[in-house]
Amino acid sequence: MKKNILYLLIILLFFCQCEKDTASSFQNSGTTGQGGSLARFAITGNYLYTVDENQLKVFDIISGSNPVLKNTVDVGFAIETIFPFKDKLFIGSETQVYIYSIEDHANPKLLSSAISPQVLRRCDPVVAKDSVAFATLRTNGPCGGTQSILAVYNIKDITNPVEVTTYPVGEPYGLGYDDDVLYVCDKQRGLLLFDISRPYQPTLIDTNINDGSYIDVIPYQNTLICWTTTGIILYDITDNRKPVLIKNIN
Amino acid sequence: MRRIILFFIASIYLFSCDPRQTDLSGEVDAYVPVYGSLSDIHDIAMEPQKSTLKPGKIYAYKNYIFQNDLYTGVHIIDNSNQKNPVKIAFLKLPLSTDIAIKGDYLYANNYVDLTVFDISDPVHAQLVKRVANVFPGPDQDFPPFRGTYFQCPDKSKGIVVRWEMQHIKIPNCRR
Repeated sequence: MKKNILYLLIILLFFCQCEKDTASSFQNSGTTGQGGSLARFAITGNYLYTVDENQLKVFDIISGSNPVLKNTVDVGFAIETIFPFKDKLFIGSETQVYIYSIEDHANPKLLSSAISPQVLRRCDPVVAKDSVAFATLRTNGPCGGTQSILAVYNIKDITNPVEVTTYPVGEPYGLGYDDDVLYVCDKQRGLLLFDISRPYQPTLIDTNINDGSYIDVIPYQNTLICWTTTGIILYDITDNRKPVLIKNIN
Repeated sequence: MRRIILFFIASIYLFSCDPRQTDLSGEVDAYVPVYGSLSDIHDIAMEPQKSTLKPGKIYAYKNYIFQNDLYTGVHIIDNSNQKNPVKIAFLKLPLSTDIAIKGDYLYANNYVDLTVFDISDPVHAQLVKRVANVFPGPDQDFPPFRGTYFQCPDKSKGIVVRWEMQHIKIPNCRR
Protein backbone atom coordinates (compact mmCIF):
# COMPACT_ATOMS: atom_id res chain seq x y z
CA MET A 1 0.00 0.00 0.00
CA LYS A 2 2.81 2.34 0.90
CA LYS A 3 4.39 1.63 -2.43
CA ASN A 4 1.16 2.44 -4.17
CA ILE A 5 0.87 5.69 -2.33
CA LEU A 6 4.35 6.61 -3.41
CA TYR A 7 4.16 5.45 -6.95
CA LEU A 8 0.65 5.66 -8.23
CA LEU A 9 -0.39 9.14 -7.36
CA ILE A 10 -1.24 12.11 -9.32
CA ILE A 11 -0.03 14.68 -6.94
CA LEU A 12 -1.38 18.13 -7.04
CA LEU A 13 0.30 20.64 -4.90
CA PHE A 14 -0.55 24.26 -4.49
CA PHE A 15 1.59 26.57 -2.49
CA CYS A 16 -0.53 29.67 -2.25
CA GLN A 17 -0.08 29.62 1.50
CA CYS A 18 3.66 29.19 1.38
CA GLU A 19 4.77 32.75 1.63
CA LYS A 20 7.40 33.08 4.26
CA ASP A 21 5.75 35.96 6.00
CA THR A 22 2.54 34.69 7.45
CA ALA A 23 2.72 36.56 10.71
CA SER A 24 -0.82 37.83 10.63
CA SER A 25 -2.51 34.52 9.93
CA PHE A 26 -0.09 32.93 12.32
CA GLN A 27 -1.74 34.33 15.39
CA ASN A 28 -5.25 33.79 14.15
CA SER A 29 -6.96 30.92 15.89
CA GLY A 30 -8.63 30.10 12.60
CA THR A 31 -5.29 29.40 10.95
CA THR A 32 -5.31 26.55 8.49
CA GLY A 33 -2.21 24.40 8.31
CA GLN A 34 -0.40 23.28 5.25
CA GLY A 35 -0.19 19.76 3.91
CA GLY A 36 2.05 17.96 1.50
CA SER A 37 1.33 16.73 -1.97
CA LEU A 38 0.06 13.27 -1.11
CA ALA A 39 -2.85 14.51 0.96
CA ARG A 40 -6.26 12.94 0.99
CA PHE A 41 -7.52 15.61 3.38
CA ALA A 42 -7.69 19.29 2.50
CA ILE A 43 -9.19 22.22 4.33
CA THR A 44 -10.28 25.30 2.49
CA GLY A 45 -12.40 27.93 4.17
CA ASN A 46 -14.77 26.30 6.61
CA TYR A 47 -14.82 22.97 4.85
CA LEU A 48 -12.82 19.79 5.12
CA TYR A 49 -12.68 17.82 1.89
CA THR A 50 -11.58 14.20 1.97
CA VAL A 51 -11.16 11.59 -0.73
CA ASP A 52 -11.22 7.84 -0.46
CA GLU A 53 -11.01 5.23 -3.21
CA ASN A 54 -14.11 6.41 -5.03
CA GLN A 55 -15.66 9.35 -3.24
CA LEU A 56 -15.21 12.94 -2.28
CA LYS A 57 -16.72 13.94 1.06
CA VAL A 58 -17.47 17.43 2.28
CA PHE A 59 -17.50 18.23 6.00
CA ASP A 60 -18.70 21.55 7.34
CA ILE A 61 -16.21 22.53 10.07
CA ILE A 62 -17.60 25.94 10.95
CA SER A 63 -17.97 24.51 14.43
CA GLY A 64 -14.43 23.18 14.62
CA SER A 65 -15.11 20.46 17.15
CA ASN A 66 -18.21 19.19 15.45
CA PRO A 67 -17.73 18.41 11.77
CA VAL A 68 -20.89 17.70 9.89
CA LEU A 69 -20.89 15.55 6.78
CA LYS A 70 -22.62 17.68 4.17
CA ASN A 71 -22.11 15.86 0.94
CA THR A 72 -20.73 12.72 -0.67
CA VAL A 73 -19.79 12.82 -4.33
CA ASP A 74 -18.96 9.80 -6.48
CA VAL A 75 -15.83 10.79 -8.35
CA GLY A 76 -14.34 7.71 -10.04
CA PHE A 77 -11.93 4.90 -9.30
CA ALA A 78 -8.59 4.68 -7.54
CA ILE A 79 -8.72 8.22 -6.23
CA GLU A 80 -5.45 9.14 -4.57
CA THR A 81 -5.11 12.83 -3.80
CA ILE A 82 -6.99 16.05 -3.37
CA PHE A 83 -5.72 19.52 -3.87
CA PRO A 84 -7.50 22.83 -3.44
CA PHE A 85 -6.57 25.45 -6.03
CA LYS A 86 -8.37 28.76 -5.60
CA ASP A 87 -12.07 27.91 -5.90
CA LYS A 88 -11.34 24.55 -7.49
CA LEU A 89 -10.52 21.10 -6.23
CA PHE A 90 -8.05 18.97 -8.17
CA ILE A 91 -8.70 15.32 -7.47
CA GLY A 92 -6.04 12.93 -8.70
CA SER A 93 -6.70 9.33 -9.53
CA GLU A 94 -4.37 6.76 -11.02
CA THR A 95 -5.49 7.65 -14.48
CA GLN A 96 -6.81 11.18 -14.60
CA VAL A 97 -7.41 14.43 -12.82
CA TYR A 98 -10.89 15.60 -12.00
CA ILE A 99 -11.48 19.29 -11.52
CA TYR A 100 -14.38 20.37 -9.36
CA SER A 101 -15.64 23.86 -8.75
CA ILE A 102 -16.29 24.59 -5.08
CA GLU A 103 -17.76 28.04 -5.57
CA ASP A 104 -20.70 26.49 -3.79
CA HIS A 105 -18.54 25.02 -1.02
CA ALA A 106 -20.75 22.16 0.05
CA ASN A 107 -21.74 21.19 -3.47
CA PRO A 108 -18.67 20.46 -5.59
CA LYS A 109 -19.50 20.54 -9.26
CA LEU A 110 -17.50 18.59 -11.84
CA LEU A 111 -15.98 20.98 -14.38
CA SER A 112 -13.64 18.75 -16.27
CA SER A 113 -11.86 15.45 -16.25
CA ALA A 114 -10.44 15.93 -19.71
CA ILE A 115 -6.96 17.13 -18.96
CA SER A 116 -4.54 16.18 -21.69
CA PRO A 117 -2.82 12.97 -20.61
CA GLN A 118 0.66 14.22 -21.44
CA VAL A 119 0.09 17.20 -19.20
CA LEU A 120 -1.14 15.76 -15.94
CA ARG A 121 -0.69 12.04 -16.03
CA ARG A 122 -0.56 9.86 -13.02
CA CYS A 123 2.65 10.12 -11.03
CA ASP A 124 2.91 13.78 -11.92
CA PRO A 125 3.27 16.10 -8.95
CA VAL A 126 2.27 19.63 -9.81
CA VAL A 127 2.68 22.97 -8.16
CA ALA A 128 0.91 26.06 -9.35
CA LYS A 129 2.09 29.61 -9.00
CA ASP A 130 -0.17 32.30 -10.35
CA SER A 131 -0.81 31.19 -13.91
CA VAL A 132 2.16 28.83 -14.16
CA ALA A 133 2.26 25.17 -13.13
CA PHE A 134 5.33 23.03 -12.57
CA ALA A 135 5.07 19.26 -12.79
CA THR A 136 7.52 16.42 -12.50
CA LEU A 137 6.82 13.51 -14.81
CA ARG A 138 8.47 10.37 -13.51
CA THR A 139 9.02 7.61 -16.00
CA ASN A 140 10.40 4.73 -13.98
CA GLY A 141 8.11 2.48 -12.01
CA PRO A 142 4.59 1.86 -13.28
CA CYS A 143 4.13 5.28 -14.81
CA GLY A 144 5.46 4.79 -18.30
CA GLY A 145 7.25 7.30 -20.51
CA THR A 146 10.85 7.62 -21.64
CA GLN A 147 12.50 10.57 -19.87
CA SER A 148 11.68 12.00 -16.45
CA ILE A 149 11.22 15.73 -16.75
CA LEU A 150 10.34 18.90 -14.99
CA ALA A 151 7.66 20.51 -17.14
CA VAL A 152 6.29 24.03 -17.09
CA TYR A 153 2.73 24.80 -18.13
CA ASN A 154 0.69 27.85 -18.80
CA ILE A 155 -2.52 27.39 -16.80
CA LYS A 156 -4.33 30.62 -17.53
CA ASP A 157 -7.16 28.38 -18.65
CA ILE A 158 -7.12 25.93 -15.78
CA THR A 159 -9.01 23.29 -17.69
CA ASN A 160 -6.57 23.42 -20.58
CA PRO A 161 -2.93 23.56 -19.44
CA VAL A 162 -0.41 24.20 -22.21
CA GLU A 163 3.12 22.82 -21.90
CA VAL A 164 5.68 25.55 -22.49
CA THR A 165 9.01 23.94 -21.66
CA THR A 166 10.65 20.87 -20.08
CA TYR A 167 13.87 20.10 -18.20
CA PRO A 168 15.35 16.58 -17.83
CA VAL A 169 15.64 15.23 -14.25
CA GLY A 170 16.35 11.85 -12.60
CA GLU A 171 13.63 10.23 -10.49
CA PRO A 172 11.42 13.08 -9.34
CA TYR A 173 8.73 13.03 -6.65
CA GLY A 174 7.15 15.98 -4.84
CA LEU A 175 7.98 19.60 -5.41
CA GLY A 176 7.28 23.00 -3.95
CA TYR A 177 8.41 26.58 -4.29
CA ASP A 178 9.40 29.48 -2.14
CA ASP A 179 9.27 32.77 -3.98
CA ASP A 180 11.47 32.29 -7.06
CA VAL A 181 13.08 29.00 -6.06
CA LEU A 182 11.51 25.66 -6.92
CA TYR A 183 12.50 22.58 -4.89
CA VAL A 184 12.22 19.21 -6.59
CA CYS A 185 12.64 15.88 -4.79
CA ASP A 186 14.78 13.61 -6.95
CA LYS A 187 15.60 10.14 -5.63
CA GLN A 188 18.60 9.82 -7.92
CA ARG A 189 20.10 13.27 -7.67
CA GLY A 190 18.89 14.59 -4.33
CA LEU A 191 17.13 17.85 -3.72
CA LEU A 192 17.19 19.96 -6.88
CA LEU A 193 16.79 23.73 -6.83
CA PHE A 194 15.59 25.73 -9.80
CA ASP A 195 15.55 29.47 -10.27
CA ILE A 196 12.04 30.23 -11.49
CA SER A 197 12.24 34.02 -11.56
CA ARG A 198 11.56 33.57 -15.26
CA PRO A 199 9.10 30.71 -14.79
CA TYR A 200 9.09 29.53 -18.38
CA GLN A 201 12.89 29.21 -18.32
CA PRO A 202 13.74 27.37 -15.09
CA THR A 203 17.49 27.16 -14.48
CA LEU A 204 19.18 24.65 -12.21
CA ILE A 205 20.92 26.26 -9.26
CA ASP A 206 24.32 24.70 -8.60
CA THR A 207 23.92 22.89 -5.28
CA ASN A 208 24.61 19.41 -4.06
CA ILE A 209 22.03 18.55 -1.45
CA ASN A 210 21.69 14.83 -0.98
CA ASP A 211 21.10 13.99 2.67
CA GLY A 212 18.42 11.37 2.15
CA SER A 213 15.82 9.98 -0.17
CA TYR A 214 13.38 12.84 -0.69
CA ILE A 215 9.68 12.19 -1.20
CA ASP A 216 8.01 15.55 -0.71
CA VAL A 217 8.63 19.09 0.53
CA ILE A 218 6.72 21.85 2.28
CA PRO A 219 8.42 25.25 2.21
CA TYR A 220 7.11 26.76 5.43
CA GLN A 221 8.21 30.12 6.74
CA ASN A 222 12.02 29.96 6.75
CA THR A 223 12.10 26.19 6.89
CA LEU A 224 12.01 23.60 4.17
CA ILE A 225 10.29 20.52 5.56
CA CYS A 226 11.32 17.41 3.65
CA TRP A 227 9.63 14.06 3.99
CA THR A 228 12.24 11.39 3.37
CA THR A 229 12.20 7.61 3.55
CA THR A 230 13.65 7.83 7.07
CA GLY A 231 11.49 10.60 8.49
CA ILE A 232 11.93 14.35 8.17
CA ILE A 233 14.91 16.49 7.18
CA LEU A 234 14.70 20.22 7.87
CA TYR A 235 16.61 23.00 6.12
CA ASP A 236 16.88 26.67 6.90
CA ILE A 237 15.86 28.52 3.75
CA THR A 238 16.27 32.08 5.02
CA ASP A 239 18.37 32.31 1.88
CA ASN A 240 16.09 30.22 -0.26
CA ARG A 241 18.85 29.48 -2.79
CA LYS A 242 21.13 28.05 -0.11
CA PRO A 243 19.33 25.57 2.14
CA VAL A 244 21.28 24.90 5.31
CA LEU A 245 20.73 21.59 7.07
CA ILE A 246 19.05 22.07 10.43
CA LYS A 247 18.50 18.48 11.44
CA ASN A 248 17.15 15.02 10.76
CA ILE A 249 14.12 13.89 12.73
CA ASN A 250 13.74 10.15 12.61
CA MET B 1 -28.23 -18.37 -7.87
CA ARG B 2 -26.55 -21.29 -6.13
CA ARG B 3 -25.06 -22.33 -9.46
CA ILE B 4 -23.58 -18.93 -9.98
CA ILE B 5 -22.01 -19.06 -6.55
CA LEU B 6 -20.69 -22.55 -7.19
CA PHE B 7 -19.28 -21.43 -10.50
CA PHE B 8 -17.65 -18.49 -8.81
CA ILE B 9 -16.09 -20.67 -6.14
CA ALA B 10 -14.93 -23.10 -8.81
CA SER B 11 -13.28 -20.32 -10.77
CA ILE B 12 -11.48 -19.07 -7.70
CA TYR B 13 -10.27 -22.60 -7.16
CA LEU B 14 -9.12 -22.89 -10.76
CA PHE B 15 -7.33 -19.58 -10.61
CA SER B 16 -5.62 -20.67 -7.46
CA CYS B 17 -4.10 -23.56 -9.36
CA ASP B 18 -2.23 -21.32 -11.75
CA PRO B 19 1.50 -21.97 -11.83
CA ARG B 20 3.04 -19.23 -9.77
CA GLN B 21 5.90 -16.94 -10.45
CA THR B 22 8.09 -17.93 -7.57
CA ASP B 23 11.63 -17.02 -6.81
CA LEU B 24 14.26 -19.48 -5.62
CA SER B 25 12.89 -19.52 -2.09
CA GLY B 26 9.46 -20.44 -3.46
CA GLU B 27 7.97 -17.13 -2.33
CA VAL B 28 5.75 -14.71 -4.21
CA ASP B 29 4.45 -11.20 -3.63
CA ALA B 30 0.98 -11.52 -2.18
CA TYR B 31 -1.49 -9.47 -0.18
CA VAL B 32 -1.87 -10.57 3.40
CA PRO B 33 -4.76 -9.43 5.60
CA VAL B 34 -3.82 -7.49 8.74
CA TYR B 35 -6.33 -8.17 11.49
CA GLY B 36 -7.57 -5.97 14.29
CA SER B 37 -10.40 -5.47 16.70
CA LEU B 38 -12.49 -2.40 17.38
CA SER B 39 -10.93 -2.08 20.82
CA ASP B 40 -7.45 -2.00 19.23
CA ILE B 41 -8.60 0.56 16.69
CA HIS B 42 -10.13 2.79 19.37
CA ASP B 43 -7.06 2.58 21.57
CA ILE B 44 -6.08 6.25 21.25
CA ALA B 45 -3.58 7.87 23.59
CA MET B 46 -0.91 10.52 23.98
CA GLU B 47 2.50 8.94 24.31
CA PRO B 48 6.03 10.25 24.80
CA GLN B 49 7.96 11.01 21.63
CA LYS B 50 9.42 8.00 19.90
CA SER B 51 11.27 6.89 16.77
CA THR B 52 9.59 7.05 13.41
CA LEU B 53 8.95 3.62 11.95
CA LYS B 54 7.06 4.17 8.69
CA PRO B 55 7.36 7.84 7.77
CA GLY B 56 4.11 9.13 6.30
CA LYS B 57 2.55 12.40 5.28
CA ILE B 58 3.79 15.70 6.66
CA TYR B 59 1.81 18.71 7.81
CA ALA B 60 2.78 22.14 9.12
CA TYR B 61 0.68 24.20 11.51
CA LYS B 62 1.72 27.24 13.53
CA ASN B 63 5.01 26.33 15.26
CA TYR B 64 4.44 22.63 14.87
CA ILE B 65 5.26 19.99 12.32
CA PHE B 66 3.34 16.74 12.17
CA GLN B 67 4.30 13.50 10.53
CA ASN B 68 2.05 10.51 10.25
CA ASP B 69 3.60 7.18 11.11
CA LEU B 70 1.74 4.89 8.78
CA TYR B 71 -1.17 3.09 10.49
CA THR B 72 0.02 3.87 14.02
CA GLY B 73 -0.31 7.59 14.73
CA VAL B 74 1.14 11.07 14.44
CA HIS B 75 4.49 12.45 15.58
CA ILE B 76 4.30 16.00 16.93
CA ILE B 77 7.37 18.19 16.49
CA ASP B 78 7.79 21.54 18.21
CA ASN B 79 9.43 23.95 15.78
CA SER B 80 9.35 27.07 17.99
CA ASN B 81 13.11 27.01 18.06
CA GLN B 82 13.71 26.72 14.36
CA LYS B 83 17.36 25.95 14.96
CA ASN B 84 16.48 22.92 17.01
CA PRO B 85 13.03 21.48 16.39
CA VAL B 86 12.23 18.52 18.64
CA LYS B 87 9.72 15.75 18.81
CA ILE B 88 7.51 16.36 21.81
CA ALA B 89 4.85 13.66 21.68
CA PHE B 90 3.20 10.91 19.72
CA LEU B 91 -0.52 10.73 19.18
CA LYS B 92 -1.32 7.05 19.06
CA LEU B 93 -4.06 6.78 16.48
CA PRO B 94 -4.36 3.33 14.94
CA LEU B 95 -4.81 3.06 11.18
CA SER B 96 -4.45 6.77 10.58
CA THR B 97 -2.89 7.99 7.36
CA ASP B 98 -4.07 11.57 6.90
CA ILE B 99 -4.41 14.73 8.90
CA ALA B 100 -5.49 18.31 8.39
CA ILE B 101 -5.65 21.13 10.93
CA LYS B 102 -7.59 24.33 11.33
CA GLY B 103 -8.06 26.54 14.35
CA ASP B 104 -6.42 24.13 16.81
CA TYR B 105 -8.59 21.23 15.70
CA LEU B 106 -6.81 18.29 14.12
CA TYR B 107 -8.87 16.07 11.84
CA ALA B 108 -7.63 12.57 11.19
CA ASN B 109 -8.92 9.24 10.03
CA ASN B 110 -9.12 6.39 12.50
CA TYR B 111 -10.06 3.36 10.42
CA VAL B 112 -13.55 4.20 9.04
CA ASP B 113 -14.16 7.13 11.40
CA LEU B 114 -13.24 10.79 11.29
CA THR B 115 -11.76 11.87 14.62
CA VAL B 116 -11.27 15.42 15.89
CA PHE B 117 -8.62 16.41 18.44
CA ASP B 118 -8.28 19.67 20.32
CA ILE B 119 -4.57 20.45 19.96
CA SER B 120 -4.48 23.83 21.69
CA ASP B 121 -1.98 22.04 23.95
CA PRO B 122 -0.52 19.51 21.52
CA VAL B 123 1.21 17.40 24.15
CA HIS B 124 -2.18 16.85 25.70
CA ALA B 125 -4.26 16.55 22.55
CA GLN B 126 -7.81 15.58 23.43
CA LEU B 127 -10.21 13.55 21.38
CA VAL B 128 -13.31 15.72 21.18
CA LYS B 129 -15.38 14.09 18.49
CA ARG B 130 -15.76 10.91 16.48
CA VAL B 131 -17.85 10.86 13.32
CA ALA B 132 -18.42 7.16 12.77
CA ASN B 133 -18.44 5.23 9.53
CA VAL B 134 -17.71 8.02 7.10
CA PHE B 135 -14.82 6.33 5.32
CA PRO B 136 -14.92 2.97 3.60
CA GLY B 137 -12.97 0.19 5.28
CA PRO B 138 -10.94 -2.34 3.35
CA ASP B 139 -12.83 -5.11 1.62
CA GLN B 140 -13.12 -8.00 4.08
CA ASP B 141 -12.73 -10.67 1.42
CA PHE B 142 -10.41 -9.34 -1.26
CA PRO B 143 -7.30 -7.16 -1.52
CA PRO B 144 -7.64 -3.80 -3.27
CA PHE B 145 -6.24 -4.99 -6.60
CA ARG B 146 -7.11 -7.76 -8.99
CA GLY B 147 -4.69 -10.08 -10.66
CA THR B 148 -2.79 -10.76 -7.45
CA TYR B 149 -2.19 -13.60 -5.07
CA PHE B 150 -3.43 -13.17 -1.54
CA GLN B 151 -3.85 -15.01 1.69
CA CYS B 152 -7.52 -15.84 2.22
CA PRO B 153 -8.86 -13.96 5.24
CA ASP B 154 -9.66 -15.98 8.31
CA LYS B 155 -12.68 -14.30 9.87
CA SER B 156 -12.06 -15.89 13.25
CA LYS B 157 -8.98 -13.66 13.52
CA GLY B 158 -10.94 -10.42 13.51
CA ILE B 159 -11.65 -7.52 11.20
CA VAL B 160 -9.40 -7.05 8.20
CA VAL B 161 -8.09 -3.56 8.91
CA ARG B 162 -5.87 -3.37 5.84
CA TRP B 163 -4.10 -5.46 3.24
CA GLU B 164 -0.35 -5.53 3.23
CA MET B 165 1.90 -6.69 0.39
CA GLN B 166 4.31 -9.33 1.65
CA HIS B 167 6.67 -11.85 0.16
CA ILE B 168 5.26 -15.17 1.33
CA LYS B 169 5.18 -18.85 0.52
CA ILE B 170 2.11 -20.36 -1.07
CA PRO B 171 -0.65 -17.77 -0.78
CA ASN B 172 -3.89 -19.73 -0.87
CA CYS B 173 -6.02 -17.34 -2.90
CA ARG B 174 -5.84 -15.53 -6.18
CA ARG B 175 -8.04 -12.98 -7.79
